[in-house]
Amino acid sequence: MTYFFQLVLSGVVVGSIYALSALGFVLIYKSSRVLNIAHGQLIATGAFIAYALTVWVGIPIYLSFFISMVLTFFLTMSVERIFLRRLIGEPIISVIMVTIGLMSILDGLIYLTPFGSENFSFPRFLPKEPISMAGVSISWTQLVGVIITFAMIGAFSWFFKKSTVGISMRAVSDDQLASMSIGISVPRVFGLAWATAGLSAAAAGGIIGNITGLNFDTLHAFGITVFPVVILGGLDSILGAVVAGIIMGLIQQFASGYLDGNWGLNGTGTVLPYIILLIILLFKPHGLFGIHEIERV
Amino acid sequence: MSANRWLATGNYFTTYKEEQRIFLTHTDRLIFSFFLVCVFVWPLVFETNNKSMLVVDNILIAMIAVLGLNLVTGFAGLISIGHAAFVGVGAYTVASVSRVMGDDYILLTHAWPAMILASGLVGAVFGAMVGLPAFRLKHLYLAIATLSFQMIFQWTINFMEFFNQGQTIFVGRIFWLNGEVGRNEHYIFWYYVILIILVLLGFMVRNLLRTRFGRCLIAVRDNDRAADAMGMHPGLTKVYAFGLAGFFAGIAGALHAYLYRGVGIESFTLHESITYLAMAIVGGLGTLNGSFWGPAAIKMLELQVEKIAEHAGDMMPASMNLATALRPLTFGLVIVLFLMFEPRGIANWWRIIRSYFKLWPFRY
Repeated sequence: MTYFFQLVLSGVVVGSIYALSALGFVLIYKSSRVLNIAHGQLIATGAFIAYALTVWVGIPIYLSFFISMVLTFFLTMSVERIFLRRLIGEPIISVIMVTIGLMSILDGLIYLTPFGSENFSFPRFLPKEPISMAGVSISWTQLVGVIITFAMIGAFSWFFKKSTVGISMRAVSDDQLASMSIGISVPRVFGLAWATAGLSAAAAGGIIGNITGLNFDTLHAFGITVFPVVILGGLDSILGAVVAGIIMGLIQQFASGYLDGNWGLNGTGTVLPYIILLIILLFKPHGLFGIHEIERV
Repeated sequence: MSANRWLATGNYFTTYKEEQRIFLTHTDRLIFSFFLVCVFVWPLVFETNNKSMLVVDNILIAMIAVLGLNLVTGFAGLISIGHAAFVGVGAYTVASVSRVMGDDYILLTHAWPAMILASGLVGAVFGAMVGLPAFRLKHLYLAIATLSFQMIFQWTINFMEFFNQGQTIFVGRIFWLNGEVGRNEHYIFWYYVILIILVLLGFMVRNLLRTRFGRCLIAVRDNDRAADAMGMHPGLTKVYAFGLAGFFAGIAGALHAYLYRGVGIESFTLHESITYLAMAIVGGLGTLNGSFWGPAAIKMLELQVEKIAEHAGDMMPASMNLATALRPLTFGLVIVLFLMFEPRGIANWWRIIRSYFKLWPFRY
């Protein structure tokens, strides 16, 4: 039973990070209907910037975490400005392919740095002993990570629900023509959506980097697992992203906890989300919380 | 209209049948046959070595794969981010026969044309299965479906004992009429095999586009609701398109397995999928000759990149592998730049050059 609770706990930890990663993805999709295939690379970029600032420049980790978020904010904003702004009005298929190209470019740039081939880990800044309670334990890094994650998700939800910019983003996602007619600059909203997505990706990257260590493959895998999460949650729902993120984290932990090692299976945690994704696409393509007005054939 | 098509100054069609001919003019047909003869004869005339033949064979295999990808992405308008996985399905069909029966089993060595066809069919089945969500959904979701197929495929190969966990599975030397194909003839032999298959498949695609199904594909891409109203079945069309793409990919995979005499996971990763997509985009999505320009251009670019990486690698610290960094970087740049500045690809340059010479000395 303790094992079960331990799995639940680590599932929630992993899942909340998925939720934070998926958040940025949903932001972009919600406002501009673009699938950002390069999201995993953005997460990795954020994590690497944070590491470089902390270890190589020597800035305190809290501050470098923050600076990496700001830098990624401007990075994604300029990506939108340079590559995607001129594709507004083109068929959505070519915009998605541009993000595939971006993914490849960012991959190449990361391989140029030492991060592409070597593993790093953040300096430890929290107590080493995990917190144990009735046999279930959680490390300080994980606990702090989860707290930051939920704080960020709360902040983003508030931003979307209440702030003027958030409301204009929602307006654009609802109807571009109508929002233009009441004076919202649609390209600016797209840029902001990308920028906030970059910000949340950097935050997710920093947290993942602290929990699992900096390995490009791991971070990249996180970015691709975002797809099952957002499909399960519904592509354009923030609540869906959070719930589905946690569900996906639990599924992964249970799979690797109970299935691996039995019946010759191994690494099921990495593949199960994709199998679930294919099944959801077949039977419930709008996900748990997505709007039902779905582009049907 | 002029009765003599040799002397016509333009294409004057009076029937739909005329417009849908494979070769629009006799000149086209003549040029094409001349080109075909050149392609078949050059290895006999010029001195070739194994290394350059391998490059050429690789390009031809990529052309077969991209023909399939272009059907699904270019003509049907569905992004496939898992094309390398479909190629892998074909290659691993050959590999699993080798794994079960031993790498010099008679089916592999003597009945290899049947093996290639079988791999294509297995690829088609997988393609259609991944395309099943197309019954209900549009391109965006299908991109995710193919991506997840890519991930599932990689996992299956990497973790299963049967597939040697992604390590190389060997495939034996094949036999031809005059006995075993030896080391020296290997690449030249496969050049001809691949070339014949490529020509056949190229004609197949060209013919396909003249049929009802081909017109369905383009109609569904341009406006699926209108296509539905015209009595086509958009979902079924898309699933067929995926199946066909899987068939082409499977054949390419089997040829890859035979050419390298072994199958390993590193040729079928997500990066390779993106490379195939880059080939299709650079060649020109939705054009037949784009499927031939793209792979040639990208493979040439890849060679140059490797050369540069080699030169620059001497000056760099040894720990850094410049080639792994430059490859995705250049391919990504090529994809993005082509989509931004020449979305119709190299096929469009070809069209411009052709029409220039056709209309010469007039400008239009």
